[in-house]
Amino acid sequence: MKIIIAVILFSGLGLVWIQKTDVIPTSVSQNKTLSNKPEFFVMEWREGMVLENKPTPFFIEVETMGNQNVDILVTAHDRPVLYTADICTPVCADGECRLMYITIYWNLLGAYAGYDKVEGQTLTKHDHVEFLKQDYEKLHHLLIDDNSILKRKKIDELVLKPKESELDGVDAIAGATIAEVKESVVDGALYSCYVAWNIAHGPIKAELQEYTTSNFDNKLKGYMLMSSEVDYQMYALNSLSESEYFDYKDRIVQIFKSGIPLVRTYIVQNLPKLFWESESLQRPFWESFAEVDINNRSLLLNHIQEAPIEVLLLLASNLELMTKNQLKLYLSAIENIAMTNPDINAQLLRFAESGKHTYAYIVAEFLEEME
Amino acid sequence: MKYLVLILCFFGINFMISQDLLLEAESFDEKGGWVVDPQFIEQMGSSYLLAHGMGVPVENAQTQVNFKKNGEYKVWVRTKNWVPGEWEAPGKFQIKVNGLVLENTLGLRSGWGWEYAGAVQITNKKNTLELVDLTGFNGRCDAIYFTTSDIEPPSSVKKLATWRKTVVMEPLAPKITKKYDLVVVGGGIAGCAAAIAAAEQGLQVALIHDRPVLGGNASSEIRVHTLGIYGNFERILKKLDTEHYPNGSPEAHKDQIKRDNNVKSYENVSLFLNWRAYDAKAVENKISYVDARQTASAESIRFEAPLFVDSTGDGWIGFWAGAEFSYGRESVDQYGEEWKEHGELWSPKQPDNAVMGSSVLWRSYEAEEVAEFPEVPWAMPVARDYAKVKGEWQWEFSRNDLNQIDDAEEIRDHMLRAIYGSFGNAKKLPENANRKLEWVSYLVGKRESRRLVGDYIFTLNDAKSGRTFPDGVVEETREVDVHYQTVLEDEKNPDFISEALFYKTPKYYIPYRSLYSKNISNLFMAGRNFSTSHVGLGGPRVMRTTGQMGAAVGFAASLCKKYDVNPRDIYTGYLDEYMNLIEEQKYTPIPDSKK
Ligand SMILES: Cc1cc2nc3c(=O)[nH]c(=O)nc-3n(C[C@H](O)[C@H](O)[C@H](O)COP(=O)(O)OP(=O)(O)OC[C@H]3O[C@@H](n4cnc5c(N)ncnc54)[C@H](O)[C@@H]3O)c2cc1C
Repeated sequence: MKIIIAVILFSGLGLVWIQKTDVIPTSVSQNKTLSNKPEFFVMEWREGMVLENKPTPFFIEVETMGNQNVDILVTAHDRPVLYTADICTPVCADGECRLMYITIYWNLLGAYAGYDKVEGQTLTKHDHVEFLKQDYEKLHHLLIDDNSILKRKKIDELVLKPKESELDGVDAIAGATIAEVKESVVDGALYSCYVAWNIAHGPIKAELQEYTTSNFDNKLKGYMLMSSEVDYQMYALNSLSESEYFDYKDRIVQIFKSGIPLVRTYIVQNLPKLFWESESLQRPFWESFAEVDINNRSLLLNHIQEAPIEVLLLLASNLELMTKNQLKLYLSAIENIAMTNPDINAQLLRFAESGKHTYAYIVAEFLEEME
Repeated sequence: MKYLVLILCFFGINFMISQDLLLEAESFDEKGGWVVDPQFIEQMGSSYLLAHGMGVPVENAQTQVNFKKNGEYKVWVRTKNWVPGEWEAPGKFQIKVNGLVLENTLGLRSGWGWEYAGAVQITNKKNTLELVDLTGFNGRCDAIYFTTSDIEPPSSVKKLATWRKTVVMEPLAPKITKKYDLVVVGGGIAGCAAAIAAAEQGLQVALIHDRPVLGGNASSEIRVHTLGIYGNFERILKKLDTEHYPNGSPEAHKDQIKRDNNVKSYENVSLFLNWRAYDAKAVENKISYVDARQTASAESIRFEAPLFVDSTGDGWIGFWAGAEFSYGRESVDQYGEEWKEHGELWSPKQPDNAVMGSSVLWRSYEAEEVAEFPEVPWAMPVARDYAKVKGEWQWEFSRNDLNQIDDAEEIRDHMLRAIYGSFGNAKKLPENANRKLEWVSYLVGKRESRRLVGDYIFTLNDAKSGRTFPDGVVEETREVDVHYQTVLEDEKNPDFISEALFYKTPKYYIPYRSLYSKNISNLFMAGRNFSTSHVGLGGPRVMRTTGQMGAAVGFAASLCKKYDVNPRDIYTGYLDEYMNLIEEQKYTPIPDSKK
């Protein structure tokens, strides 16, 4: 029975997000500033940065607690950096409710960026035990995971029903957290974790993203492209026109070198055709061949037929990095010059005869057939 | 002596003097601890024997060989080192003839080809041949060739195929032809359900399956539990599905017995276990036959029928017959399958050849005593510092330079390296001193490869909107989940671990029109190779859903027979009767004979 009470409360959570036009925020945010990096934070923080709170039209309505405003944090030059909200929400388990205080931050695209404890308030677990340092860390990790199992389960699906848990010999009243969830939530604080996750990843995410994009201008585009945040890079890349690809070509190469595989893939797959028609524009990408991941090497090699001879040569010194099918692709591209170009030929021989490479035999067979 | 092929040599000059004998390893009388691996025939030319001992050398395989003439024979073995590099080859073995070990250790060459084992003096007609495994780590032997000539047999796959045919004087077509009302190829849950449904309606059915047991990914050889709902076909699917045990659990054996017995109980299902289809011939877009071969002997049969079901998972029948198919991810705009939150991971702006990966499941147990595990340096470049004692569904591998069909052996081998390496790492921890490998599958469990194109292509939007169809024969409530490799987000992650993105949907339906080929007039498809987009497959690839597809086409086949029409005609001309037949399945009592 006790579980059911909590469940009703939380399944209500989804419904209490109210359209911004319908309700007027109940409180106005005060002029606050943020001058320290939030205690739990996933983004880069520029030392010395002071951010000022400004109101947005958004808020999160928490049942029985009213609306909790979402602010935007801006620099002295009025450049938006983060969104934030001071949340006070009831957390109920076993029929007992207490308040949870937490300041949450979102990045400009509405992704969870971090959180701070609220001064004078601690987070607590079952039986009012206070969070330990590692519990706060764990909560942060949980909140980072936008694909958490909490996303697709209702709270009652996350605890074993008393009947089953009796079988397992676990505490039947509190309900044992199912194994998969247990790994990711703070022990004894499933309900707090569940509430926090659902606030951080609730509909506010999309609203904030939309708010940013409705104010998206070239300045913000440039800022995001220069940023090391993956979703900013991706968002900015996605918004580039063909001519902007040329304007930002150096930065794009840089991201290609240093970015995560997913962003690199986006770049190779979406580079305007003109890049592949120009030797100088495509060369820097090939020069990153050794630095990028296998998938992106394959995507580059899809353009091998458009590559100038210098690139073929460059790749010849990288044969050990290629997988079987990549080698085959490369070999088919150099078929006509393999025997006539002494540099390439020397590299092929070097590789084939090295005796230590998994796919050396592919090149050896190739040379054999060429003879 | 069916496996033994003795011929006079075929090369001009040696004619009359040279004696040659080609022995397919998979046809050995006693396989010992070696297993027959028919998964990669299309790529490397044949089934082969695999020493899958999880690090403990397996028992010798043995066979009798009859020679017509005495003399000195050179012995060549078709094999490969499956991980060439700066370490000792993992899968080494030797050949013994009449108790004597031949001079060279085998399993050392890179890429499939012939390795010279040594010379042997044959002085008797009858001889014993043995394969001696040295490592327990997946040494492989495809064939053994005895020759009195000095000519090395060809290694390249193209030349080899012709050579093999000449050597064994294999007939171009199977000598035996069998005729059925319906030929189902691939005995996963989908294929089994198709065979049962058609058989219950009185059709004579052939079910061709390349393994000794039925169920595909749900079999005790791969051990994935079945998910999804029964839809209209609870009675049939309960004969085939599994309990909800953890993937990889030995509990799969119990369901295996149930499934095999149930399918075998249908007298009009002719079951061809350990038979693999290798060709399908279509004339004017109509398949006239499918050819299949026994995976251990070279026996072959031609299967003729007016109707065929492709439930191979890989769309082989469609592929050979020239059916339209797709592979990889559509662009996000092609069918409008965007999920903003997960962007490119879910559906890319540009189409690409990424697909969900394949898995090899495995587990270990706590032994009573301390258990040793050998060093596996050849596995470490894949496993790196990952340390685990079992592998669930997340052990999945897909990479854009690898095709899930053409490169399946490399994918399986990559997973084996991941497993042995990660287990080796785990074994270095004191708490795992007693850990022993209990089971590592050698069959690669696939999720996605070719998808044959039907009159309708099922997409995410059909699931999202819960769209109903007049021919909605399959129904499902399970969310759509699409996997991606976690290494795409962080290069520090192992490249063999995936993550699932779940999209919650209302109950959704799959139309019958997604279950027959658009351009091959008499071809049904059921299972993960049905007509769907990449994201669309995310939901219905699970095996109760694929089972529903199978049952749906089995019943459709019965109406095709009744009216002597093709699959499409059921939709255009007999839909009411068909849908009634499907509807009735909910209520059909179990026939007395099957109680
Ligand atoms: C690790 C893993 C976890 C998964 N988790 C789940 C899960 O929890 N629940 C779930 O329901 N699904 C799960 N899936 C998905 C599901 O198992 C697959 O989508 C499955 O392939 C669908 O069944 P099928 O009948 O279409 O194909 P398969 O099960 O692949 O069956 C096809 C069969 O045809 C045989 N065959 C192929 N070619 C030939 C030929 N030429 N001649 C003769 N026989 C041939 C093959 O050997 C194979 O056994 C998982 C998959 C994997 C790999």
